[in-house]
Amino acid sequence: MFKNHIKIAWRSLKKQPFFTFLNVFGLAIGIAGCLLITLYIHDELSFDTMFADADRIHRVNVDVKFGGEDRRFAVVNAPLAEALENDFSEVELTTRFRTGGSVLLKTTGTEINVKEQQSTFVDSTFLKMFGIRLLAGDINSALKEPNTMLLTKTAAEKHYGIQEAVGKTFELNNTQTFTVTGVVEDMPKNSFLRDHTVFMAMSGFEDSRIVNWGSNNYQTFFKVIPSANVDAMQEPLKGFLGKYVIPGIQQYMPGITEEQFIASGNHLIYTSMPLTDIHLKSDRAAEISPNNNIQSIYILSFIAVFLLVLACVNFMNLSTAHSLKRAKEVGVRKTLGSNKIDLIRQFLVESGLVSFGALLLAIFLAILALPFFNDLADKDISMPYSNPLFWIILLAAGLVLGLFSGSYPAFFMSKFIPVKVLKGSNSNSLGGSKVRNGLVIFQFAISVFLIIGTLVVYQQLKYIQNKDLGFSKDQVLIVNDVYTLGDKSGPFKEEVKKLSYVENATISSFLPTPSARGDSTFAPEDGLTDQERAISMQVWRVDHDYVGTMDFELIAGRGFDRRFLNDSTSIIVNESAIATMGLSPEEVIGKRYTPDFGEEDPEMLTVIGVVKDFHFSPFRNDIEALCMRLGDLYAESMAVKLHTSEFQVAIADVENIWSQMAPGQPFDYYFMEDSFNDTYRSEQRLGSIFFIFTTLSILIACLGLFGLAAFNAEKRTKEIGVRKVLGATVGQITFRLSADFLKLVGIAILISLPIGWYAMNKWLEDFSYRIEVKWWVLVLAAIVAVVISLLTVSYQSIKAAIVNPVKSLRTE
Amino acid sequence: MLLQLQNIFKWVNSGGQRIFLLKDINLKVKEGEFISIMGPSGSGKSTFLNVIGMLDGFDEGSYDFLDESVHQLKEKHRAKLYKEYIGFVFQQYHLLDDLTVQENLEMPLLYKKLKGAERKAMVADMLDRFNIVGKKDLFPAQLSGGQQQLVGIARALISSPKLLLADEPTGNLNSKQGEEIMELFKQLNEEGVTIIQVTHSEKNAAYGKRIINLLDGRMI
Repeated sequence: MFKNHIKIAWRSLKKQPFFTFLNVFGLAIGIAGCLLITLYIHDELSFDTMFADADRIHRVNVDVKFGGEDRRFAVVNAPLAEALENDFSEVELTTRFRTGGSVLLKTTGTEINVKEQQSTFVDSTFLKMFGIRLLAGDINSALKEPNTMLLTKTAAEKHYGIQEAVGKTFELNNTQTFTVTGVVEDMPKNSFLRDHTVFMAMSGFEDSRIVNWGSNNYQTFFKVIPSANVDAMQEPLKGFLGKYVIPGIQQYMPGITEEQFIASGNHLIYTSMPLTDIHLKSDRAAEISPNNNIQSIYILSFIAVFLLVLACVNFMNLSTAHSLKRAKEVGVRKTLGSNKIDLIRQFLVESGLVSFGALLLAIFLAILALPFFNDLADKDISMPYSNPLFWIILLAAGLVLGLFSGSYPAFFMSKFIPVKVLKGSNSNSLGGSKVRNGLVIFQFAISVFLIIGTLVVYQQLKYIQNKDLGFSKDQVLIVNDVYTLGDKSGPFKEEVKKLSYVENATISSFLPTPSARGDSTFAPEDGLTDQERAISMQVWRVDHDYVGTMDFELIAGRGFDRRFLNDSTSIIVNESAIATMGLSPEEVIGKRYTPDFGEEDPEMLTVIGVVKDFHFSPFRNDIEALCMRLGDLYAESMAVKLHTSEFQVAIADVENIWSQMAPGQPFDYYFMEDSFNDTYRSEQRLGSIFFIFTTLSILIACLGLFGLAAFNAEKRTKEIGVRKVLGATVGQITFRLSADFLKLVGIAILISLPIGWYAMNKWLEDFSYRIEVKWWVLVLAAIVAVVISLLTVSYQSIKAAIVNPVKSLRTE
Repeated sequence: MLLQLQNIFKWVNSGGQRIFLLKDINLKVKEGEFISIMGPSGSGKSTFLNVIGMLDGFDEGSYDFLDESVHQLKEKHRAKLYKEYIGFVFQQYHLLDDLTVQENLEMPLLYKKLKGAERKAMVADMLDRFNIVGKKDLFPAQLSGGQQQLVGIARALISSPKLLLADEPTGNLNSKQGEEIMELFKQLNEEGVTIIQVTHSEKNAAYGKRIINLLDGRMI
C-alpha cells in the first residue's frame, strides 16, 4: 500500500509540475533560510562553551557611579582576584587578563617586526582555568616567570616551527624581551579570546602586584567548585565595597565612610556573570572582544520561525487549493472502498515527498548561499556534515514539516463527500476558502511587518551615516603604531605635512571613533574636595594640530597655540562637559579644574576653549563629557587629513616617509571612515539580514499568492467565460479577479501596521540618537505590499481574462 | 432477496419549503435481476441510485441489504458493506487519470488489502475477460470513451460485487459504443450479476428485465 501511495503521489506531483515547483521551491527557501539562521544562532550560542568547565567559570563586573558619572565595566582592579580566593571557599582558581593591545614582535637580533593584533598579560593559572593544552612547552612552568610568553600556533609559525619556538626570545615593541615558554592551539573563533595570539606572563607586569582598589583594568575570571552556588556569592561580593574599596578611597578622602559614599549618590557594585553569557549578554566598557547582542539573536529567531511558518502556510494554501482539483479522485477512491485513514495517509505521503524534496533543495541552496551568508554575518560557519545529530535533526524537521503542513490539506480532502464531488458540484461549496484567506492574510501581515522593519532599519543607518558628527571623518588616513618612531614621530609628522595634498596631521592616541577609554574625576578650583561638584571627564592627550585636523568647531575660546607656552596646563572641553559643570561656553573660559581630585597640591588646568559636541561614541550612547590637553609623546597613531581622492598615491607617499624613518617597522594604516563604519557593523549586518530575509519572505508569500491566483482563475474559468459572453471587458475581469486578493492584502496591512510601528519604535529606543518612525514609512510599506501582490495576481488574472470564452466554456 | 426498500422518503428544505427528492419508494430486488430506472431529468433517478448504493442517505423509511438494516448502520459499516458487495459505473467513467488501466483495476483490490500476487492474477484475469490486455499500460486519456467505460466496468466488477450500479453508463458514448456496453451488461447479467442502471434511452432500458419509471421522486 505504501509503495502504491508513493507511486501515486509521485505521478500526481509530476502531473502538476507548476504547483509542485511552487510548493517545493517555496518550502525550500523557507527551510534554507531557517537553516542558515539556525546555524548562525547555534554558533552565537556556542561562544566560549568549548572551554573545559566553561559552566563553572565566571567573570567579575563592576558598576561604578562616582562624581555624577555612571559606568559599567567588564574589568575590575588588580587585587580583587586574590580577595576572591581568600574570601570564598568555593573559588577554585582565578585568572586575570590585562590587555596589551596590538604588539610588534621580532626575533631578537633581527630587524623585521611582525604585528600581532591582540596580546594580553595573563596569570599563570590561565592554562588550567580554561583547560588549554600546550602544543609545545611545559605546562607547569609556562607563564610562571616574568618576561615569558605563550604564542598561538599561527603566531609562532610566522617565525619558527611549533617545537623550535619554545625557548626563543623575542623583542616586543622594540623595548622588552620575552622568552617563549609554550605554544598553544589557535584560540577558537567563537571564543572571547578569538583575536589573541600573544599571552604574556602577568608576573612581569608591575601594576598587577600593586594593591590599588581605585583603578579598574583587569578582566578577572574565577572558577568555582562544582557544588558552588554562585548566586549566594553575590551579596558578599557587593560587600567588597566596604571591606576593600572604601579603605582604599580613604587615602584620598580621609574619613569617608561607606554610608557617606553612598549618601552622596555614588555606588560601586561588584557582580559576577557566567563566562558563557558574556558574548550575548554583556555590553560593558573594556570587553576583551566585541560582543553580540542577545536582542539580535531574538530578532533572528523570530525571522527564522516566520520564514518556516510562511513556507508551511504557503504549502497548506497551495495544497488545499490544488486539492479541489482532485476532489473527483477522492470521490472515486471512496466509492472504490477507500476509507478516510487511507486517504489521509496518501496525502501525507504526498506532502512528505514534497517536503523531503524541499529539504534536499534547501540543503543545496543553503550550501550555495553559505559563503555569502558568512560574508554578510562576518562568520566562519560550515555545514556540520559529519555531525550525525545535524542530519537527524534535519530529517526529523523535514518529517515534522511534511506532516504539519500536509495535515490540514489531508484532513480537508479526506472529508469530501463522494456524491457531491462526483456530481462535479461547484468547488466553492467544498469550503476551506475561509482558512485559505486567513492564511494569505497571515502571510502578508508578516511580509508587511518585515517591510516596515527593513525601511526603518535602513533609515536609521542612513541617518547615522549622514549625521553631522561634529568632526570630519572623510579622507582621514590613520597611521598606527607611531610610538615605534620614538622621538622621530615629530619629524615624521612634519614630513607628512609637507606633502602637497595633506591639509593637516596630528598625533594622538585618541581618535573620535568609539573605543574603550577611561575617565578622570575633576574638581573645580573653588571646590577641591566637594564631591557634589566633582565631574567625570575623559582626558584626551592631543597635540597642537588636533582640533584643526579633526575640524572641530570652537564655540568659545581658542584652540591650542604654540605661541602660548603655558598651554601645557590648558584644556579644551566639549559641550557635554560644560553642561555637567552648569556653565555657559563664555563663563567657562578661564575657569580652572584639577584632575587630582582629593590629592594634595593638585595640578590646576585652565579652560581655554569649548568645542561643539562631536560623536566619539556610537549613536546608541549619549555624548560624554570630555577634555583635551596637550601631551603624550608615545602616542598610538597619527591622523592625516588628505585633500585628494588619489588615496593610493597618498598611502604610498606616507609609507615611503615611514620606512625611511622607521626601517623594519610594519606600516599599518586605515581610513577613519572605515573604522567609523565598523562601529555600526552590527546595525548594518542587522539591516542586511533584515533585507535579505524580508525579500525571501515576500518571495514566499508571492509564490503562494501566485499559485492561489492561478488556481482561482482556473476555478472561475466558467464564470469568466460567461461574463465575457455577456460583454465584460478584459480590464473589468482582471479587476474582478484581483480585487478579491487585494482585499486580503488590505486586511493584512491593517493588522501589521500598528504592530510594525510599535515594534520598530521599541528597537529605536536603543539609540540615543535616532529617527522617528514616520507615517509615510507605513504608507510606503503598504504600497509596496499592494504593488507586489497586484503584480503577482494580475498576471494570472489577465491570463484568465483574455482566454476565448468559447474555449473556457467548453472545458466545463 | 438482495435488497428491499420500504417507504423511502428523501427531501431537502429550501426557502422554508420541503422539496421531496424521493417520495414513498418501495422496491424489492432479487439476485440476478436487471433493472432499468427511467425518467425525465430531475425525476430523482440518480438520487435513487445513490441511495441504493449507500453513497447518499435518506430521511424516512427502511432499507435492508442482504438482511442488514442499512438505515441503522453507522457510516463505517455502510462503507464496508458497499465496498464488499457493490460496484459502481459512472457516466463520466471516473477513472483515475494518474493511473494506468492496470492500476485502475487494481485499486479496489488494494483497498481490500489483498496480496500482491493475488491482485495480479485477478487483474490479469479481468484484462483478459474484457479483451484489454493490450491496453493495460495506457493511461485513461489515451483511450476512447468506450474503452474507458469498459475499464470502468471492469474495475467495478473486479472485486466480484453482488450488485452493479450504473448511472447512465452510455451517456457519454456514441450509439455503437453504447450498444456494446449494453450487450456486455446483458451478458454479465446472464452470468449472474445483479444490475441496476439509470438511463434516458428507451432502447437501453429495454435491455433490463424490469423497468422502473420515476417522476418527481415517485415510482409510477
